[in-house]
Amino acid sequence: MRLNLKIWRQAGPTAPGRLEDYTADSVSPDMSFLEMLDVVNEGLIVKGKDAIAFDSDCREGICGTCSLVIDGVAHGPDRGTTVCQLHMRRFKDGETVTIEPWRAKAFPVVKDLVVDRSAFDRIIAAGGFVSINAGGAQDANNILIPKDVCDAAMDSAACIGCGACVAACKNASAHLFMSAKISHLSLLPQGQQERYTRVTAMIDQADSEGFGSCSNEGECEAVCPKEIPISNIARMTREYVMARLSK
Amino acid sequence: MAPRTGIFSSSVGTKILIGLTGVLLVVYLLIHIAGNMVVFLGPAAFNTYAFTLESNPLLPLVELVLLSWFVIHIYKTVRNFLSNQTARPVAYQKKKSAGHTTRKTFASSTMIFSGLWLFAFLLVHVKAFHDGWGTQYEWPAGGRDLYRQEMETFANPVMVGFYIISMLVVGSHLWHGASSAFQSLGADKPAWTRVILPAGKAIAVLVAGGFIVIALFAHFYGVRS
Repeated sequence: MRLNLKIWRQAGPTAPGRLEDYTADSVSPDMSFLEMLDVVNEGLIVKGKDAIAFDSDCREGICGTCSLVIDGVAHGPDRGTTVCQLHMRRFKDGETVTIEPWRAKAFPVVKDLVVDRSAFDRIIAAGGFVSINAGGAQDANNILIPKDVCDAAMDSAACIGCGACVAACKNASAHLFMSAKISHLSLLPQGQQERYTRVTAMIDQADSEGFGSCSNEGECEAVCPKEIPISNIARMTREYVMARLSK
Repeated sequence: MAPRTGIFSSSVGTKILIGLTGVLLVVYLLIHIAGNMVVFLGPAAFNTYAFTLESNPLLPLVELVLLSWFVIHIYKTVRNFLSNQTARPVAYQKKKSAGHTTRKTFASSTMIFSGLWLFAFLLVHVKAFHDGWGTQYEWPAGGRDLYRQEMETFANPVMVGFYIISMLVVGSHLWHGASSAFQSLGADKPAWTRVILPAGKAIAVLVAGGFIVIALFAHFYGVRS
């Protein structure tokens, strides 16, 4: 396969960026998207040119590091998939593919396709954790949690914090990310003590980071590699109301 | 640590206010269209209905409450829109909907524009039917002859055109807004959403369709009666 690539190149956070044309030759349909970019980079390095900077780590869809907008869709065209799990058989020979970084005020570009997502870390640091001493491992039947509640908490905990929700949202909102973390912890017994301080602190932090609001379009859910539903955002709203009423 | 924001200043609180006023305005619209349907019962029934409403001493209070819903809804959405515009200073070169489970539609993407159109429509609408526009007629049994005023207003094809376009805009606004308001209020569970999403679209069709039918009826049959 041969692909025409239009890739966002930006030397640094304050430098102007633009789309540059590249050609990916001898692409195997079995390659992952990131492996295809690795091959393009090897060619650039051999020619003494600056390699295209992009983020990746586990390359098995669980770490949330890879972050590319491919042809206008965060993580590319496959449902419930990170870029590293997207394969070239999804594309046609001779196709032109546009690759851009996540774009949000709160996710400034570091270089090329790499963005700084530490705003997410600060949201977590504001309250997305359990600080009480929950003791040692309990007996399996000591704390009974209904199966559906357990499943909902686990599904929310599947969020890998990649930021695709922000990238896809027309308002660059972090509501899906926050709501996944808040749902995960507010559904389980260990998260109860800090339940209401958590939701207010995280929302205040996200607002101060410059993320937008939510318009209920569900673009975030559609691109989420872990398919976290926006019903979590509604739960976050309920938690927020309870938190503000209880103060 | 970020400073504590007021409940209705935060991104979630703003959504709640917009959703709450949105639901209230949808309920008002449903009452409004149900009332307007009385026009099909003829001038006597319609003018009696209008006079009953207008002669109620509580009407100014109800109008004030209604006005507050509009003001809050418009003020918060415009401010929210402007603030959301700053959240992505550099636009994508290429952006498209992800498809799959998305609820993004033409209607959802143009909420601010349909809303601002409706704001302009409301000014004309209130001027025409609340304050009275052009010749005012007395109804012998009491109050104004609003039936005649409505028929005369809709005899004008420009008015009918503007009205129908505005009602299509209402339909578009509600196509996303009616169900979205419930999501904003935290009402989203799989069992509820299965009902809320289609119900929102049904309300959009019902409201827009109902008002359009009345305008067409007035235009084509009103002048003769």
